[in-house]
Amino acid sequence: MDVSIQTFKTSGERALLDPRTSIFAIVVIGVVMVGGSLTGIEYVLRVISCMIPAALLYAVKKYKVATIYFLIMLFIMIIEGTAVQSTVGALNLLFVILSGVVSRFIPQFMMGYCFMCYTKVSEFVVSMERMHVPSVITIPLSVMFRFFPTIAEENRCVIEAMKMRRTGTKKPSLLQKMEYELVPVMMQTVRISDELSQAAMTKGMGLNRKRSHICKVGFRAIDYLMLILLGTILVLFIIY
Amino acid sequence: MDNKKNSLTVKDCINIGVFAALYIVIFFVTSFIGYIPIMMAILGVACAVTCGIPLMLFFSKSHVFGMVSIMGAIMGIFMILMGRPWYCIFVALAAGVAADCVLKNGNYKSINKAVIASGVFSLWMMGMEVPLYFGARDTFIESIKEGYGEAYAEVIVKITPNWMFYATIVLTFVGGILGGLLGKAVLKKHFKKAGMA
Repeated sequence: MDVSIQTFKTSGERALLDPRTSIFAIVVIGVVMVGGSLTGIEYVLRVISCMIPAALLYAVKKYKVATIYFLIMLFIMIIEGTAVQSTVGALNLLFVILSGVVSRFIPQFMMGYCFMCYTKVSEFVVSMERMHVPSVITIPLSVMFRFFPTIAEENRCVIEAMKMRRTGTKKPSLLQKMEYELVPVMMQTVRISDELSQAAMTKGMGLNRKRSHICKVGFRAIDYLMLILLGTILVLFIIY
Repeated sequence: MDNKKNSLTVKDCINIGVFAALYIVIFFVTSFIGYIPIMMAILGVACAVTCGIPLMLFFSKSHVFGMVSIMGAIMGIFMILMGRPWYCIFVALAAGVAADCVLKNGNYKSINKAVIASGVFSLWMMGMEVPLYFGARDTFIESIKEGYGEAYAEVIVKITPNWMFYATIVLTFVGGILGGLLGKAVLKKHFKKAGMA
């Protein structure tokens, strides 16, 4: 079974952006998209920052995802720029909720997805080490991000198995549905975490030893460009 | 391997990561109801109940001081990545440490203490609700007005008087305990039999 979404690519060239720049980008986009208003300069900033993931996705050659994302965001931004401003009352509430669900959650997710697309676990761990984040935080974080697609895959398998045994046809209640899907996924979680820790043990991973690595991590010109852009957005956002 | 019982190992770290992922997925699935304004106030309760199930399993795996605290810290970091205010991480960390203390009190064995700890741990969500109340309230409402429009802001103001904050704390705590009990039942029904908890 192929995994449609994959976090943390496993091999290949050096990352497009330094992981530290990417994390900063996620934070900035999050701040601007969640807290920004829909008028004046903040609206312009919102438009710019929600297009950063699209540009990055094009840069890493994920054309399909990038185009879909770009079109959706364009549509939402136009709605926010026009329809939300000109309507009142219940209709306004409807537009705000509809566009808000997308514009306030999706860009950070997409930035995170970009980050995962071009970053290796190794690069992530090294850059966290450079920021002096202790490994008791770094290891769970990297496991966690790597584990999201696994959960989706396991969940799909469980649903498929339920279909095969025709347990899903009876329309179970919400609580039952939760139990039927959650319990097997949790079982798998426990098992996978055991397997992962055995794998880590065979690789000699320890908490107190320094990790050696061969991947190159550091700031390059594109990182500085990105940092300046993000810094400008953040400063403008705070001032206005 | 001698001191396995009293210090963090890589295995523990991996357990934290895996369960944090599961927790966050369930949290987000539940929290999509939070976008309906009426639901915003009781969002914490709903999340606390559903998230209690993986949390109880995680508690059954934790055997040393620090695991639950780190879990709390990771929740805080994730919230900051999602664009929430910065003090979320301290609230989350405090909730994690407090839950850890409760578990420690039960020597990481007592299941009743784990239920209480589940309630305590759920309080990490309060960090997200702080701007709705107290001093920051006016600026926050103002930003909602700009960001989401007048109509949305009015509904928010109407359903969140100041006393609601304390009510939400209590409700979230109760929700966490309910989730803990639910988790306990699930553990008893499924995981004890399979020898996994």
